[in-house]
Amino acid sequence: MSRLGFVAFAAFVVFVAVLPTFVSDFKAQQYAYVGIYLIALLGLNVLTGYTGQISLGHGAFMAIGGYTSAILMVGNEQFGGPIGGGVEDFWTIPVAGVVAGLVGLAFGLPALRLSGLYLALATFAIAVAMPSAIKRFADFTGGGTGINLFGKPELTGGLTGVTVLGRQLSFNDWLYYLAWTIALVAFAVAWLILRGRTGRAFRAVRDSETAAVSSGVSLARYKTLAFGISAAYAGVAGALFAVANTYVNPDTFPIALSIFLLVGVVVGGLGGLSGLVFGAIFIEFLPLWAQGEDLGSHLPGFLVDETKKPGGPAIVYGVVLILLMFVLPSGVGGLFRRVGEAFTRRR
Amino acid sequence: MRKTSFSAVVLAVIALAALPGALASPATRAADPGITSTTILLGGTAPLTGPAAAYASVARGAKAYFDSVNAKGGVAGRKIQYKYLDDGYDPAQTVQDTRQLVEQDKAFAIFNTLGTEVNLSIRDYLNAHKIPQLFAASGATTFGRDVAQYPWTIGFQPSYQAEGWVLGQYLAKTKKRGKVGVLFQNDDYGKDLLGGFKRGLQSSGVKVVAAQPYEVTASDVSSQVAKLKASHAGIFAIFATPKFAIQAYVFANRLGWRPAVIDNAVSAASNIMLLASEGGKNKAVEGTVALNFLKDPTDERWKKDPGVRTYRAIMSKYAKGANVNDVYHVYGMAVAYETVSLFKRLGANPTRAGLMAKARSLNDPSNPFLLPGIAVKTGPGDGFPIQQGQLQRWTKGRWAPFGGIWTSKKL
Repeated sequence: MSRLGFVAFAAFVVFVAVLPTFVSDFKAQQYAYVGIYLIALLGLNVLTGYTGQISLGHGAFMAIGGYTSAILMVGNEQFGGPIGGGVEDFWTIPVAGVVAGLVGLAFGLPALRLSGLYLALATFAIAVAMPSAIKRFADFTGGGTGINLFGKPELTGGLTGVTVLGRQLSFNDWLYYLAWTIALVAFAVAWLILRGRTGRAFRAVRDSETAAVSSGVSLARYKTLAFGISAAYAGVAGALFAVANTYVNPDTFPIALSIFLLVGVVVGGLGGLSGLVFGAIFIEFLPLWAQGEDLGSHLPGFLVDETKKPGGPAIVYGVVLILLMFVLPSGVGGLFRRVGEAFTRRR
Repeated sequence: MRKTSFSAVVLAVIALAALPGALASPATRAADPGITSTTILLGGTAPLTGPAAAYASVARGAKAYFDSVNAKGGVAGRKIQYKYLDDGYDPAQTVQDTRQLVEQDKAFAIFNTLGTEVNLSIRDYLNAHKIPQLFAASGATTFGRDVAQYPWTIGFQPSYQAEGWVLGQYLAKTKKRGKVGVLFQNDDYGKDLLGGFKRGLQSSGVKVVAAQPYEVTASDVSSQVAKLKASHAGIFAIFATPKFAIQAYVFANRLGWRPAVIDNAVSAASNIMLLASEGGKNKAVEGTVALNFLKDPTDERWKKDPGVRTYRAIMSKYAKGANVNDVYHVYGMAVAYETVSLFKRLGANPTRAGLMAKARSLNDPSNPFLLPGIAVKTGPGDGFPIQQGQLQRWTKGRWAPFGGIWTSKKL
């Protein structure tokens, strides 16, 4: 990273740190979700953007992380399972990352034989099967009723808020700082992985598998590794998602989530990291904006007034997505790159 | 990160800062959230998109009713604003939407949120914050049974267990023996119906020989229907939401299966039945039996009924372009009507606790949108507002009621 890059990253960290002071308590929670989605998108971009493996099943890895976290916190003895629970939410997050990462590695092995669309279909199958699998093992997962975390002692904050470093934080602010601290660390880690030898190998696999093999890059090793890293990121995001939602159930991680994540990566820009923040904002806010929330007074009512035009918001969402892909075919990250190039050329 | 990362991050900072509302000043907490001298804010979520989008009409019907009341001056000088957000039937989205309604929009109560899992996902949160979860649109038994644990939550429609029990009792009383194949949604809603149904069949000659679950996220139920047909069941019980119920009828017909069908109320609206009957071609639909508690606007009997006339008038004025024959609108109006009368009883200074207290002592024998004879009633030890229904049979393109009003035992 150039020195300017460091400065910019530091500026962004400062911005993230002070944002809650300027926004309402509730908005802080929405931005916490942006941080959570950012983590998942960083992981997915390692796999899809850098290594060229399309995954339509990352919601399932988030589900694994979310359930790991929820079960470790509350336990599943109440449903007849073997785990007693009682782990504080914070410590379940790394465990969730490891568990999801291991599942990702295991999935990476059969995925080696699949490429392109076939891999996308195989990963889609996990996303489809995941809700049913969770319900099937109801004595371990609580089935369709799900696991409630709200009001449990293992959930930090909850009703009362939490004191960190002598400062009293509301639950929403706590979620915000928790999510963004992890997101920024995850961002730095992803950058470290991708800048060196491993990142070069990933890109070589993406650009041409034949060329990569002939340069001595082991396809098996790097594809599986990419799957593992990316699933671990999704697991961490899933754990945070469970904590932020204070509730998990099979439908908390629907197929649509997997698709939204892929949309987020494409909007953010494949093969870049900084644009992903926008992918995450897109996932969190566009469904609300399409309903006229936040932007209510800026959008014409006939577009978004649900009672007058049922289905309006869904159409707005679709149209915005299509327009965005027209205007920014390489995502927001691609826009950054083009703007940056224009700057450097002028200098 | 590339060389350009500086401009990238700078842009990110600028854009993030410019997000609408991002720099809004922190809202001050009012003493009485969601209520002003001129307004009452009710919030809720509805599946405007996704697998249960057919139920979106419930929210639209309720909104139309509130709008009509507001046009006449509202309740005690306050207009009832009903703001509902789309959750796509996804509990994670429900949690976020509900928190927005409570924490940002400062809703007085969460009202008419639709779906079983969806309501479960926000129940602990709302109860911990002492915010009414008023008339949750789900028949899951827990919403009426667990009043002691969740005093801030109350349902509305008959519980699924009670409905299943009535359907089971009907079969037990009318048939000496029979084999039933059940299609049910693999969640609390489907399991409650199945559980109540089995209890209704107890010690009768009618037995459940096969029960096939499906996931709400599934694309179709063709394999389940094929398996049920293979079980040689002569009776087909459909405990499924509209989309899947329609598929069940269509697949049964294609497979040449002609069982006697019983259907659950949530999928028994006339418009759904008409879709399932494929313009009268699908004979599997004929003779279906279901339990009902709402006035069906397409029913000739109600042509001159004041309730249905009010309904039609309100729909034509406040929900232009909506399908008036969609009975889910009637459900929405029934629940909105009950809410308006609740607020009328609350008087000049409604509080959240007062609202729940009144909701626990309902006694309305004549909601104009419900079938005559069906009362909305709660009291100590009774957390179920509606516990009655009437059986009806689908005959030649419309529902024909038969027998009297069934009142479910305490379930």
